[in-house]
This record gives sequence, C-alpha cells and structure tokens, in this order.
Amino acid sequence: MENQLIDHLFRYHSGKMVSVLTRIFGLSNLEIVEDAVQDTFIKASISWRKQVPENPEAWLTQAAKNRILDIFRKLKTEKNYLPNFYQGANTIAINELFLESEIEDAQLRMIFTACHPKLNAKDRIAFALKTVSGFSSKEIASALLTKEETVKKRLIRARKAILKADLQFKIPQGKSLKKRLESVLEVLYLIFNEGFHSNKKEQLIHKELCGEAMRLCKILLKNTHTRTSESYALFALMCFHAARLESKTNTQNQILDLEHQDRSLWHYPLMELGNSMMYKAVENNEFSCYHYEAAIASEHLKAKTFNATNWDKILYWYECLNSLQPMANHLLTMAVICIQKKDLQKADTYLSKLNANDFEQRKYLFYGTKSDFYAAKKDLKKAIAHINLAIETVNNQLEKEHLVKKKIKLNQK
Amino acid sequence: MKQFMMIFIGADYADLGLSPEELQTRMGKWFAWNDKMQQAGVLVGGEALTPDIRRIVGKNRTVTDLTSTEVKEIVGGYYTVKAKDFDAVQEIAQDFPDYDLGGTVEIREIMVFDK
Repeated sequence: MENQLIDHLFRYHSGKMVSVLTRIFGLSNLEIVEDAVQDTFIKASISWRKQVPENPEAWLTQAAKNRILDIFRKLKTEKNYLPNFYQGANTIAINELFLESEIEDAQLRMIFTACHPKLNAKDRIAFALKTVSGFSSKEIASALLTKEETVKKRLIRARKAILKADLQFKIPQGKSLKKRLESVLEVLYLIFNEGFHSNKKEQLIHKELCGEAMRLCKILLKNTHTRTSESYALFALMCFHAARLESKTNTQNQILDLEHQDRSLWHYPLMELGNSMMYKAVENNEFSCYHYEAAIASEHLKAKTFNATNWDKILYWYECLNSLQPMANHLLTMAVICIQKKDLQKADTYLSKLNANDFEQRKYLFYGTKSDFYAAKKDLKKAIAHINLAIETVNNQLEKEHLVKKKIKLNQK
Repeated sequence: MKQFMMIFIGADYADLGLSPEELQTRMGKWFAWNDKMQQAGVLVGGEALTPDIRRIVGKNRTVTDLTSTEVKEIVGGYYTVKAKDFDAVQEIAQDFPDYDLGGTVEIREIMVFDK
C-alpha cells in the first residue's frame, strides 16, 4: 500500500486554502476561515487512516470547497457582507479561484497582508507563519524561541490591527508596491535568519523556517510585479546561506565557525541556484543590501579552503553594505576581517568607532572580537580580560562553550 | 487464534489544537501501524468514529446529544485483530500512535459462543 504523502502537504495546503478562502470571504472572516480549514485536516487525518485518496491534494481542495457552504451558512446568521455565490456565474468564479495560478495570487495577497506596515513588526512574522505557512502557535513559539502565550497575543493583535485598519486583501500596485515589497522582503529575511542563526536543539523546526522563507520568496519570484532585482538578490542570499546549513554544527550540535566547517558538506546545487539568481539580480544596476550580503556569502563559498578566502573582496563588499546601511554589526565584522588579515591598524580604526552598548544583547560579540584583537597584538592580559567580559555577557549556552574554549587556548599561550 | 478488539479512547483531535503538520505526522504513524498489522496478517477490520454522540439512557429512554467537548474521553475508533492471547495483542498495541496525547487502548477479547 502506498501511504507516503508529500512532506508538509497539510501545512502547505493549510496556507493555500486559508488564503483562497480569505479571498472569498474577506479578512474580516479570517478566524472562521482558519477554523474551517483546520477542520478539513482533522477529518482527513482520521478518514484517511483506512484508505488514502488517490489524489490527496485534490481531496483536500474539494474539502475546502465544500467548507464554503458551511462558512456561508455560519456567516449568514451574522449578517456580514458576503458574495452572493448562489448565483451560477459566481460559483464558476469561485471555482476559478482554486486554480493553481489563482492560489498563488491569493497567497501573495496574504503575504502582503501579513507584512503590512500597519501591523507591529514582531506581529508580522508570527502572523505570516500562521496564515501563510500553516504553523500552529506552538510551532511558531518554538521556532522563534518565545512563549506560546506571546505568540497568541501577537496573533490576536495582528488580527485586530487588520480589522481596525480595514486592510484590503490585495497586492499593492503602482508607487506603493515598492515600499510594501520592501517590508515583505524584510519579513522573509527575518524568518530566514531566525532559522539560520538559531542553534537550539530541535534543529528541524529551524531548517523548516529557512525552507519556508525560501518557499515564500519563490512565490514572489513567480509574479511579474514582485519579481524585482531585490527579490532575486534575497533569494540568492538565502540559497548561499542554506548551502552551508548542514555544516554549521558538528554531531554534538556545537557551533562551527567558517574556519572549522567541513566544506565538503556544502550543498552544491543550492550554490548553483544562488549563482543563477544572482545573475538575474544584477541585470539592472540597483543594488540593495541583499545584493551585498549575497555577494559576501558567495565570496565565502568560492573559497576552497578557509585560508583561500578573498578577504579583500569581502571587506570591499562590507564597505558597500555599510555605506548603504550603516550598522555596528558591519563595522565589527570588518574589524574581524582585518584581524584575520593581520591589518591591526585598520582593525583598530573600526573598533574605535564602536562600544559595547551598540550591541545590546550581543555585547559578547564585541568583547570576543576585542579579545581576538588583543591576542593578535600579543597583549594577552587584555585579551583574557575581554574574553572574560564576553563570557559574562553571553546568554546562549553553545556560544558560551565556544568562548570558554577560546579562553582555555589563551591561557595556554 | 482468538479475536480481540482494540478500542481507542481519548480526547478528540479537534479539541487538542494540533497543527496541520502534527496531524500529518500522526496520520503517517497510523498508516505505518495499519500497514504493519496488515503485513503480519493480524488485521481483521476497524472503523473510526465521528465525535457526535447520541445517548439513550435508562428506563425513561432519556435522550441526550453530546459532543466531544462535553465528554473528556471519547471512543474514537477500534481495530479487530487475530492473536493468540492478550499478551500478543498488547504487543501489537505498542504502536498505537496517540499515547503521547494521553490516549488509551482497551483490549477486549471477542466472545465465542459454543454452537
């Protein structure tokens, strides 16, 4: 008996159906729509035990269509505005909304809704993961390393903001598209980073976050209005990072920095894909932060060994990035690169522009770099003093172990 | 060989707030179990039950309609299997997928009457 379903079929389908049904019933009925969709999965999970339908996806879509009448009945009593699809022609129109291209259109509308500037920045991510990606509050909480209660609050707040601002379920057009697309790309970038930079034990959900960000970015690339050089650059960046995902930690789940990663584990097809996306991204000369970040990531991938890294080129890309988007993090990284290149004078100019408070929760990064700087200058006393500060301020256990190891090495010098 | 019924008791899926992903994973486990029993040739039959309940009780034949939210534990379905004894069925029941949701498997032997 062939029981294998496509991985994540339910989750993907949930996002699709919530989007399509929202297009029919409007954002004001989102909660009813979400409940109805959830219901079809519960039904499927029980009734398929004995016999999986020949075409599971078609079954689910049909089930979602059947729900339309149920939702309609439920809403009718509440006298909300509703499309009158008891008329024949409207039924045809609704059927067309379930065509693959229209489903993608609906998902795109949902992405733009989730990333609307009227929503609080933190609420956007949670809301996108819930409605577009079909994660539960619990899964979102575990992915974002926060409490389930917090996620629930964010979702409620997002729904309220949508109702209050009376947001339309549309893809913005003309002038407003550019700004709104920026906000969408930013949310996708954040979702990806949450997945990529987390080192929590349950790796799986984090890999899924990366995959999800890439899947949504692909939806943007399929639409002519949202297929911009910036979107291509973001997708290229995700490909380059994702190519290294397997090599980021060792078997004991310890973090490995670029120097110690097993480069043979890097995923070649993703690097290739990233490269071809990058070609598309540079077809015009409008470069975004994603362009420079992708350029940096690809420079790392080009090096066969850590020692073969072209640091000059990477430093150049960072200079570009920092002039477009000045950030303490960029300066710190540039200092790290200069230490790497043994250009301590230049490292010092970057470091002197910074202080620990620029890094808030991540002060340890600053102290760690200072420690490296003094170690390179053979000033062991200051190096140890700074590694101690780093260890004091770090929260993440894995990062801490990494720093403690460094300290032991310093003490042996 | 005797016949036994494994009766599944627990909360209704709809009341547990499972995500689509969890539902799919869980379903995969049910598939696997079903396949395993079929391959071993022990499976006789089984059904899943909807959560709607109508109860008729006592000599007044009092009728109540209930839903899963009103009864914490609900019979969700059953399988009938062929096995040597209770221990053998207990072995089969190890793969029941919903123990982690607080689910229960009740094993009962089907009574055979002398002809």
